Amino acid sequence: MNWERLIQIDRRIIFLAMGLGIIIPMLFPMEMPVGAQRVTRSLFKTIDEIDGQEQCLMISSDYTPQTEPECHPMSLALMRHAFTRRIPVLLNALYVEGAPLLASGIEDVMEEFNSRATTHEDSIIYGRDVVYLGWQPPPIVPILAMGESIAGIYPDDYYGNRTDSLEVMQRIRNYDEVGIVVAITGLSAPLWYVMFAQTKYGVKVGAGCTAVCAPDFYPYCGTGQISGMMAGMKGAAEYEELVEETFQTGGRRKATEGMVAQSAAHLVIMGFVILGNIAYFASRRQA
Amino acid sequence: MRDKLPLALLIILGLFGLTDRFLPHPIAEGFNQYLRDTLLRIISAFALILGLGNLILRHTKKIQKKEEHWQHSWVLLLSFLVASIIGVFGGVNGELWFPTQVGSFHFDITTIYNKVLIPLGATMFSLLAFFMASAAYRAFRARNWLAVLLLGSAFLVMLGQVPLGARIWSGIPEISQWIMEVPNTAAKRGIELGITLGILATLLKILAGIERSWLGSGR
Repeated sequence: MNWERLIQIDRRIIFLAMGLGIIIPMLFPMEMPVGAQRVTRSLFKTIDEIDGQEQCLMISSDYTPQTEPECHPMSLALMRHAFTRRIPVLLNALYVEGAPLLASGIEDVMEEFNSRATTHEDSIIYGRDVVYLGWQPPPIVPILAMGESIAGIYPDDYYGNRTDSLEVMQRIRNYDEVGIVVAITGLSAPLWYVMFAQTKYGVKVGAGCTAVCAPDFYPYCGTGQISGMMAGMKGAAEYEELVEETFQTGGRRKATEGMVAQSAAHLVIMGFVILGNIAYFASRRQA
Repeated sequence: MRDKLPLALLIILGLFGLTDRFLPHPIAEGFNQYLRDTLLRIISAFALILGLGNLILRHTKKIQKKEEHWQHSWVLLLSFLVASIIGVFGGVNGELWFPTQVGSFHFDITTIYNKVLIPLGATMFSLLAFFMASAAYRAFRARNWLAVLLLGSAFLVMLGQVPLGARIWSGIPEISQWIMEVPNTAAKRGIELGITLGILATLLKILAGIERSWLGSGR
């Protein structure tokens, strides 16, 4: 066998195998139970323990369209959890590119809950249950300034309403009324919250991140500076599973749907690595 | 004077930034709040203008000199110009005076974001999976025991990151988690400490006026 030829395989064949590995599972969707890891369970528990009468959940995003498939399901799962537990949700975007994504996510989850609601109390009302603060540059400014006054640094929300006129903002002034800030990121936002907001104001910080960023945050999970984490699309699927198992919220679980395709993609890569090594050692033996 | 004024400003403002952590006095806190909430945002706005100006100049020069791939610079400049005009004069949803609709065809900034930016961004990022597969095939070789260790860890973490791992063997996600929480954390802590000490040393050199490369080349 010509092992050298196998080593120099046309990369289009690899691309084709990878493409098929991702597309075929998407054409035949199926759910695979993921089983939550410690860091995800820890984040779930921290949020679940928030007293919705006293404190809120803050979701801070800096993800962009590039990292949307991994990060956006995390925002949706967090909102579902908080809305079910009647914990008010405050959201902000640290980068402008991701701001409209978060807005569409809020609309989707609100619609999901309101389509099932039977009374005004059951419904998710903007201003009472959720507020989208929008985007304020540069990131360090809102991260620090929210320790003193959230309405001060975000005088208007994403939709142009006066922030201090919204119902929930009458009792949420600064980080004292924030149970946890979950920073969802393709970069380092959770670390900025740890460095600037937690050290100065003592707010709890959680993380949701792309799988490639996750190794950066494990040391902070170990010390407790980050209360819990969703690592990559699997982390999002784990959180979706925890919310679904606990509250049966329903709704589309995009990360869980993506798990089969991701499993297949990982298998394809591992298959090619094994094949490459077999070809490498066989060609050396031949030589 | 060209060097001394920015250096003096940096030292004074830098020291004020540090006092915020160690001097909880209302005057110091108030001044720091002003620096952070007002001055920093003004500087950021200027940085944005500077960045955009630099981008336009760089690509204009590239076109003038017909450097490699100069045609791509035209795409960048035209996209920038068109998106800026639509955004500034048409508003986010086409609510301003610039027309952003022809019949049922919309081209306001929100539509551009949803129909162009999101798919382009997703496409760029998803291409990574294909190139990673190709690169892994060619470069990931078990040449020595260290490479075998790396390969083994990579396989375990990759399997632990998907539900298939637990289906193969229930211990795989646990091992994957252990790799992330123990050896990864140990290595990361070492790297982070090194970086932080380096940042501190550089910061002190800048504050003391020893490190002046930020003032411009040749200093």
